[in-house]
Amino acid sequence: MSYPILIEQSNQILRELVDAGQRVLGYIYPHIPHEIVMAHGLTPSLVRTNRTTVGAYEDSLQTFSCSLTRNLFSQRVNGSFPLLAGIVFSANTCDALQNVADVWRLRFPEDNVIRLTYPVGDAGDSAAQFLAKEIKAFSDALESLTGTAFQKDAFIEAASILEGIRSGLQLLYSARLVNPSLIPYKTLSELVGDFMTAPTKTVLTRIENKWAEVLDGLRKQKQDGVVLKIRAALLSQDIGDIDFASDSAVRIAVIGGMVEPTTIADLIVNIPGMKPNTVVLDILTFGFRTVFTPPAETEGDLFENAAQSILGAPSEPTQEGLPRRMRFLKDILTNLSIGGLVVCEQSFCDPDEFEAPSTERAASEVGVPTVRLPIDPELSDRARLEGRLQTFLETLDTS
Amino acid sequence: MSEEKPYRRLESQDLLQQIAFRHGLEAMAASEEGRLAWVTSGFPVEIPLAMDVFPTYPEQAGAIIGASKIGPEVCGFGEDLGYSQELCSYARSSIGSTDRPEDVSMGALPTPQALLACNNICGTVLKWYDAISEMTGAPVHLLDTPPLEGEQLPHHRAYVRRGVDRLVEFLADTFNTRLEDEEATRVANLSSQAIRLWTKVLETCVNKPSPLNCADRFLTMAPVVSSRGMEHCVEFYEALLAEVEGRVKEGIGAIRNEKTRLLWDNIPPWFILRFFNQLAARGVVFPADTYTHAWSGAVEGSDTASILDGVSEVYSDVYLNKGLEAKVDKMCELIKDYDLDGFVMFSVRSCKRYSLGQLVSKEMVTERTGVPGVVIEGDMVDSRLFSEAQVQTRVDALLEMFV
Repeated sequence: MSYPILIEQSNQILRELVDAGQRVLGYIYPHIPHEIVMAHGLTPSLVRTNRTTVGAYEDSLQTFSCSLTRNLFSQRVNGSFPLLAGIVFSANTCDALQNVADVWRLRFPEDNVIRLTYPVGDAGDSAAQFLAKEIKAFSDALESLTGTAFQKDAFIEAASILEGIRSGLQLLYSARLVNPSLIPYKTLSELVGDFMTAPTKTVLTRIENKWAEVLDGLRKQKQDGVVLKIRAALLSQDIGDIDFASDSAVRIAVIGGMVEPTTIADLIVNIPGMKPNTVVLDILTFGFRTVFTPPAETEGDLFENAAQSILGAPSEPTQEGLPRRMRFLKDILTNLSIGGLVVCEQSFCDPDEFEAPSTERAASEVGVPTVRLPIDPELSDRARLEGRLQTFLETLDTS
Repeated sequence: MSEEKPYRRLESQDLLQQIAFRHGLEAMAASEEGRLAWVTSGFPVEIPLAMDVFPTYPEQAGAIIGASKIGPEVCGFGEDLGYSQELCSYARSSIGSTDRPEDVSMGALPTPQALLACNNICGTVLKWYDAISEMTGAPVHLLDTPPLEGEQLPHHRAYVRRGVDRLVEFLADTFNTRLEDEEATRVANLSSQAIRLWTKVLETCVNKPSPLNCADRFLTMAPVVSSRGMEHCVEFYEALLAEVEGRVKEGIGAIRNEKTRLLWDNIPPWFILRFFNQLAARGVVFPADTYTHAWSGAVEGSDTASILDGVSEVYSDVYLNKGLEAKVDKMCELIKDYDLDGFVMFSVRSCKRYSLGQLVSKEMVTERTGVPGVVIEGDMVDSRLFSEAQVQTRVDALLEMFV
């Protein structure tokens, strides 16, 4: 499935939900408390960039706003945005999203723009308490929006669905690290895309079915044990004890910020030399970093639980903790037998562009070659991106 | 006989140069003694100062690099290390000058022992200091002050307050020092005095003619950024206030023939401060700007606890840590209070937090105040991102409206 087809499918899923009477809440930053949204009877859905969107932002945003925000804004101006009950902007994650939310509110006063503020600091309990209060305020805003109060039963059901979805995707991510031939990256990225479009029981079933199929293959090759071990290690962000050697020729990981795995899958599909098993892992915000979020507990203070869940996800470039992220990256590269790293940088994205040199250095320190990929949602420079990747692959092949 | 300049030089500038020189020497000494911290411009500097940790300011160093017209070269050193040209030029020049201090004639800072960032001015500071940390080995400590939407809520204040406590703990551990009541109070008082004097200096510009122009304020703001909490900072602003009040009393303006009064929004292009002097020749003065008015929050308190409470509030409630509506309110207030005819918004490619939203706020400010404005684009340090001719054309178009 190509990216435009994925968008079409995502929109189709959304249309079906809307036709069935569901109200959809769009979000941009992926670490949203899905369970809270669902506890108000809403379906959380990632607002996607559109590759065919032409610039229509110029009256409101400068060209140095990040390419993600420019694309979303243009879609809204062009009237090609999906029908949403509201849209959630993150605050305190990056300066572009911070300011564009204000611009959006002023330009489109008919839209329900909701803010959710995240702590940047790695401040333990005080960060969790702050985020819990923000999530409670977010829940209150959703109640005003929908007229539906927070439903504990709905939260518990949502937590169960999300735990199932994430757990299944975590297993599939881990399975690809051990035996990527069992599930193409494209298939995994589409399942992640489905999760972000609508975390429903249908999506859960699809993921469970795929996992059952993959598990069967793993068992036949006696690899199921190591997959479980890798998943647990990735979830705890401590893979020091994992020592996995692969006999595959070239194993590549992709790292970066707000890039969808489906974009990467679509980009690599036509590159000569890129085999279906070459990309074994993404460490993208919309992929690995969201999928490996621990579940929200369903006992006690549910807002605090939602906060703890979000803060338990792998650290983002928007947050404090660069040294920890680089250590984790080095462990991944070393212990999971990664031979090359593609570093994606969203155009005019400060977190991505600041972290890329550190990422390159970290990879270099463990002897893993890298290539940097300046990318935007329109893939406006696609031929050059493909050329860079092809050259990188050829370099790895001969090294 | 040489031609008379359209603007008047401040006598206090001589004192300013002495302060800058002294600050540089003290920073070098502090680095050698293992007690130098780089701090962001919105950092609650009263705390490290009261704990005998000397602060120095990379943003100010960036301004010096810009004013020395070596911005493109020094930013280029940062780009050579892999930092994109799309990133903040304060950060790029700082990274570049840290990597190659011997190739930077002005603006390279002594090696820090800690990097203290407060994200009340932007999110970039954390990423920038992370990069410097990798180069110098100095640890980064972040004071996280999430942006405000309206009033500061109790949980927001509690989170920042806990962050301030963590800062004190970090400094105590890193520098083997303590925060004592007496010193905290003394430094906070000095800082408040400096802020109050600076605010009075700014307020003198409501007079016609305005005793200060933009470039004057951009230069004389340096001590309130870098030395608030120190005695010589208070002394400087006492001298400056006396000078500007003298100008007001005698009806002497910053420029010789004031005709048009404008508001400036954003950081200035440090490499071309003559831009303001060129406009002065056409009778254009800038009695107010949003940048220098950002240092206005005084930390009050009678003991350590109340000072730390004050820090939690004052340093959250800063101009850049608020939404677009608050920025528009501030601009409208300045236009009204200073009786301004129009405004110039400098869209700084380096600074998303300051600049994104200007296209909308320009419309709002004009709608509310009835005065026209223009948006010009460029950068504060990297002159490669500034087209003088294009800027001139746009400013000319604005000025034609006042003929």
